[in-house]
Amino acid sequence: MLYNEPSPLEVKVLSRRFGLPDSQSINTYLAHEGYQAFRKAAAMTPDDIINEVKISSLRGRGGAGFPTGMKWSFVPRNSPKPKYIVVNADESEPGTCKDRLLMEYDPHQLIEGMMIAGLAVDAHTGYIYIRGEYRYLINLMDRAIAEAYERGYLGKNIQGTGFDFDVYTHTGAGAYECGEESALLESLEGKRGIPRIRPPFPAVSGAFQCPTVLNNVETYCAVPAIIRDGGAAFAALGTPKNGGTRLFCLSGHVNRPGVYELPMGFNLLRMINEVGGGVRGGKKLKAVIPGGSSCPVLKAEECDLAMDFDTVAQAKSMLGSGGVVVMDEDTCMVKAALRIMKFYAHESCGWCIPCREGTIWLRKLLDRFHAGFGQQGDIPLIGEVAKNMLGRTFCPLGDAAAMPTISFVEKFYDEFEAHLDGKPCPYEEVNRFALA
Amino acid sequence: MADSVNLTIDGKAVQAAPGTLVIDAAKKVGIEIPAFCYWEGLTLQAACRMCLVEVERMPKLMTACTLTVAEGMVVRTETPLVAEARKSMLEFVLTNHPLDCPVCDKGGECELQDMTFRYGAGEGRFDEMKVHVDEKQWSPVVYFDAPRCILCYRCVRICDEGMGVDALGVIYRGVVSEIAPNKEDHLQCDECGMCIDICPVGALTSGMYRYRTRPWEMEHTGTICAHCSNGCKTTLGTRNGQIIRGNNRDKSGINGEFLCIKGRYAFDFNSHPERLQSPLMRIGGKLEPVSWSRAIGEVARRFTEIRERGGRFGVVGSNRTSNEENYYLQKFARQGLGTNNIDHRRTGDVPALIDALAGRTGVLATVKDVYTAKASLVIGSDLAQQHPLLAYQLRANWRHHQSHTYTVTRGPVREDKYSVHGVRVEPGAELGALESLRDQLKAEPELVILFGDAIKGEAVRRLVEFGDSLGIPVKYICLVDYSNSRGAVDMGLLPHLGPGYQGVENPGMSLPEMLAAEDLDAFWVVGANPLEHNKLAADRAFVVVHDLFLTETAERADVVFPAASAYEKNGTVTNVCGEVQHLRSAVQTMGVKTDLEILGLLSKEMRINLGMWTPESVLREIRQTVRGYNVALPVIAAGGAAQSLPLNGRVTLDSRPELIQSAGDTLFTSGTLGRYSKTLLSVLEYPGVLYGEAAEPEADRR
Amino acid sequence: MASKIQDALSSAAALAKGMGVTLKEMMSPTITEDYPDVPPKFQERYRGVHVLQRDENGLEKCVACFLCSANCPSDCIYIEAAENTDSLRISGGERYARIYNIDYSRCIFCGYCVEACPTDAITHGHGFEIASYDTSTLIWRKEQLLAPASPRETQTAINPPPGVRSPV
Repeated sequence: MLYNEPSPLEVKVLSRRFGLPDSQSINTYLAHEGYQAFRKAAAMTPDDIINEVKISSLRGRGGAGFPTGMKWSFVPRNSPKPKYIVVNADESEPGTCKDRLLMEYDPHQLIEGMMIAGLAVDAHTGYIYIRGEYRYLINLMDRAIAEAYERGYLGKNIQGTGFDFDVYTHTGAGAYECGEESALLESLEGKRGIPRIRPPFPAVSGAFQCPTVLNNVETYCAVPAIIRDGGAAFAALGTPKNGGTRLFCLSGHVNRPGVYELPMGFNLLRMINEVGGGVRGGKKLKAVIPGGSSCPVLKAEECDLAMDFDTVAQAKSMLGSGGVVVMDEDTCMVKAALRIMKFYAHESCGWCIPCREGTIWLRKLLDRFHAGFGQQGDIPLIGEVAKNMLGRTFCPLGDAAAMPTISFVEKFYDEFEAHLDGKPCPYEEVNRFALA
Repeated sequence: MADSVNLTIDGKAVQAAPGTLVIDAAKKVGIEIPAFCYWEGLTLQAACRMCLVEVERMPKLMTACTLTVAEGMVVRTETPLVAEARKSMLEFVLTNHPLDCPVCDKGGECELQDMTFRYGAGEGRFDEMKVHVDEKQWSPVVYFDAPRCILCYRCVRICDEGMGVDALGVIYRGVVSEIAPNKEDHLQCDECGMCIDICPVGALTSGMYRYRTRPWEMEHTGTICAHCSNGCKTTLGTRNGQIIRGNNRDKSGINGEFLCIKGRYAFDFNSHPERLQSPLMRIGGKLEPVSWSRAIGEVARRFTEIRERGGRFGVVGSNRTSNEENYYLQKFARQGLGTNNIDHRRTGDVPALIDALAGRTGVLATVKDVYTAKASLVIGSDLAQQHPLLAYQLRANWRHHQSHTYTVTRGPVREDKYSVHGVRVEPGAELGALESLRDQLKAEPELVILFGDAIKGEAVRRLVEFGDSLGIPVKYICLVDYSNSRGAVDMGLLPHLGPGYQGVENPGMSLPEMLAAEDLDAFWVVGANPLEHNKLAADRAFVVVHDLFLTETAERADVVFPAASAYEKNGTVTNVCGEVQHLRSAVQTMGVKTDLEILGLLSKEMRINLGMWTPESVLREIRQTVRGYNVALPVIAAGGAAQSLPLNGRVTLDSRPELIQSAGDTLFTSGTLGRYSKTLLSVLEYPGVLYGEAAEPEADRR
Repeated sequence: MASKIQDALSSAAALAKGMGVTLKEMMSPTITEDYPDVPPKFQERYRGVHVLQRDENGLEKCVACFLCSANCPSDCIYIEAAENTDSLRISGGERYARIYNIDYSRCIFCGYCVEACPTDAITHGHGFEIASYDTSTLIWRKEQLLAPASPRETQTAINPPPGVRSPV
């Protein structure tokens, strides 16, 4: 049973095996070009592999969009320490649900991607850090790893190439913060999941103070296709500097929500209207969060843009992790901001002052505001508190909380004003005595 | 790499070594960058975001506590943007801060208050409910008020990194994150109170000082701790003639920021209800309070009478009285009473070390050397329990300089956690076990050897020979027990050695011999408790005791003089490394006199001229006559430590090394004095164990 | 003769004028206060002998923060603090003044202590009869300064309902 009906507009590269019968087994994988990229990579030099990835203009799919080939090239080649491949499968961004499918339907693609990364940086151990809530995926991943060992695709001297590689799964304990790379590494080492001071970056000193390549699941999954078909072919799928395809997670008020693999630079309005089947109930589009809850919101009139990292950044938002959240005209934007802030106040790790105190302040403020107890001064205060957090927190979580809030206040100022003077929310009944 | 980096901070040109943090570089030129979480010597945190500064060509404000200096860097620490950022950080902190400054112990010396005065945010814009958590008591000395906590993690780090105790951690996340103790709801640790001292706000408060006064109401006196031999400076806060607080607020002592439970809390013996406040005299078989003149007169009369008929005296000095008192006492005994029967409880073989090192220079280590030496060897001592400051220095040395530590002990010690090599030996076999370390030690560039009472007599000479054979510079510390144990030896409270290790012609009786001598006519104990576990064989001896309390020895006395404690007198003491420091009187207790004054009054009554009995004049005499004690007076007077250097010439050795025995005090005991500290008795960990020998305490097994 | 009559008339006129003032003043209300037979009246803001106030539960408002004493220009306030316990709750905060003395031989009634008090515990009352032949009696203790507690309030002060903690 597949997650959602595929769309004819999709360009299936990473998700090509989705929907095949028994798609997670190694047999299916091997029958569909599985582990061929690894054989090819094993014959290449590390520099060639990294070059190929650079040519593909693959950019990190976790949210920041850092060029992957460049990241790999930062790993010190002659370091005497062991090197590690770490997969960030702590997919916790509200609105994003792509890594889950990649692991659920095609776990071997991820393993192969890790192995190629291992070849590129001379690493022999990989860790898959899986979000605590994805418990069933850990079993699934473990089964795939066991299969790979059984068939000689993991372990010592893999397929006679002389390359050794081991993969382990590790489960998080349900903290959004551990999706941040250095916090993930802390958690992986068995410590409290709080971010590290950078520099040094993980490429130099990551897991267990050793050089580490740390990428998102989707990034690794794109690597076998790049090696197999060549970086240029992958790059050609997208726009300049934004190579390949991307799994967009379309959710919210659309007729056909789901995960769709679309080329980079796909138009957002087309995505909503053609891939997603338009706004639910024929209503008007009000706003879109283009890349998961941490991205500034886009108004309906700003939505006619190409979904690649640079274009979305020009629109003062972010492509983020690909979670496209669509909101129709009946959505209360104060409530949307409150919902997002509830998440961040809950997930703030408590390490640095502005994030710890700022998120809870905003949450309480928005809560009160939405319940109709807002005062005139509160609207600028919301913006100011968020701005005081922005850029001053220890890790990007504070920014992730501040940016959408600022955009909500700026772009939907009138909706905030509509909540003033004890007026109830114009969109819904609010229990004014159930303030958290 | 260049030796120094040039940068500009607030328009001032600064030169700093590569790798220096901007916050430290700024401090060097007198620019203070505020910070809650940054603490020199602890790991970096960057959690409080107070040290944000503007750096040219950097898009965002940077944290000065994590930013290392770079060539040509231009830093601005007081721009409007920076001030605004700091103000907003303070506003964030204050949102969930209870603002109960009027009752908070920290009010008046609170870093958060200071910062708020400096950067504003005094007016709150936070209208919502604050997070509240009830106050908790973690131990008799540590209380935690979570809402006041700003989560700078200083306490967690000082406990984990500084002390190596790891008793504190963080639980929950986000705004309800909370510092929590290691044993769910209580602490099991060294109870050193370092976490309280380092807390920038009033979240961690001390059980002793809680709600008793406000900081500005106290007077502060920097003096030397009365307990172990490490000689930590403790600043006593006093009000109305009572010691209320001990801490190290100016960090000017040899101990820097360090104090253990004894230095910080065990001053409470001073106001113990059983403290003697009037001389006691045995009248009709019972000790009755009498006047000072009557007690002095009686003792002078009896002493004169015994001296004139050629009776035998036995004089016992103290490990805790000042150098001046010890010097004056031995002078009294030798010149006034004409006897060499003078001794004290010996806890380490210092004379043997002085003899073995005769004629050398630069071989006696100081407390600072333990922090800077590339390698250290600990023999026969549970350093963390018996010598907490030296253990702290050793640990800090390992943390900051990756120094190598070797231990040769009879059981597991805390230094094993980071030592390169730990050797377990049967008691007495320590010296032999050193051979197994020879090759490793030879490879070290330098070495400090700290040895306890396991090495004594001939073994000391062989240890020094071993040190010589390594072919590297070696320094030594002979570990002794109490605050002035070293001074007692230096001042000649020994039957065979006078002040400065000068041999005497007719060596007198040692302490065990005095106790066993049935024909002893007078037994004079100044600040010691030799009858705690022994009996005085001479039933008819006239016993005079100077003490703070009615100890076992005092109960046997014919006359008891109530003595002033170390916190009530001026003078000097010498620590385990031979460093001389100044004692300063912090309080006065009614009815007591210092031992020096008692000795002076006695000598006057007996018409013996031993010179003036003020601490200053006796110190002048010591500096002139005692070998190695011509220490720099200004250093001591300014509250510093000057090392005495008694190494020139051989020392007549007593052939009785078996008399040397450490009392084996732990972190939570301190001889007889420790029994009168309610704090020491109240902590869960009391009495503590050496070498992890006792079974796990009850609390651990639950 | 005429001059004599004139003299008499002018004298009578002067007398009448003078008596007129007297009569007029006799009819108007008196200003002089009959202290000590009648207690004197004061303006609200009069700075008299201090009163240490209690809160609505009868607990002392003073939390022994020492700010009055720190502010006092004549250094006449002496405080010793102690901690409230569940069995003995004296003030609303964690701490209370075990001893609170004001030395009225030094106090200059400037009101700085009242200004400084963060809990409005110390106020100026209207008492002023503190003259004494013996200066040692001019040191007033807390018991003399405290506002009287009603019997019901005393009851609450000793046994407060569980969880009573007035905000500081």
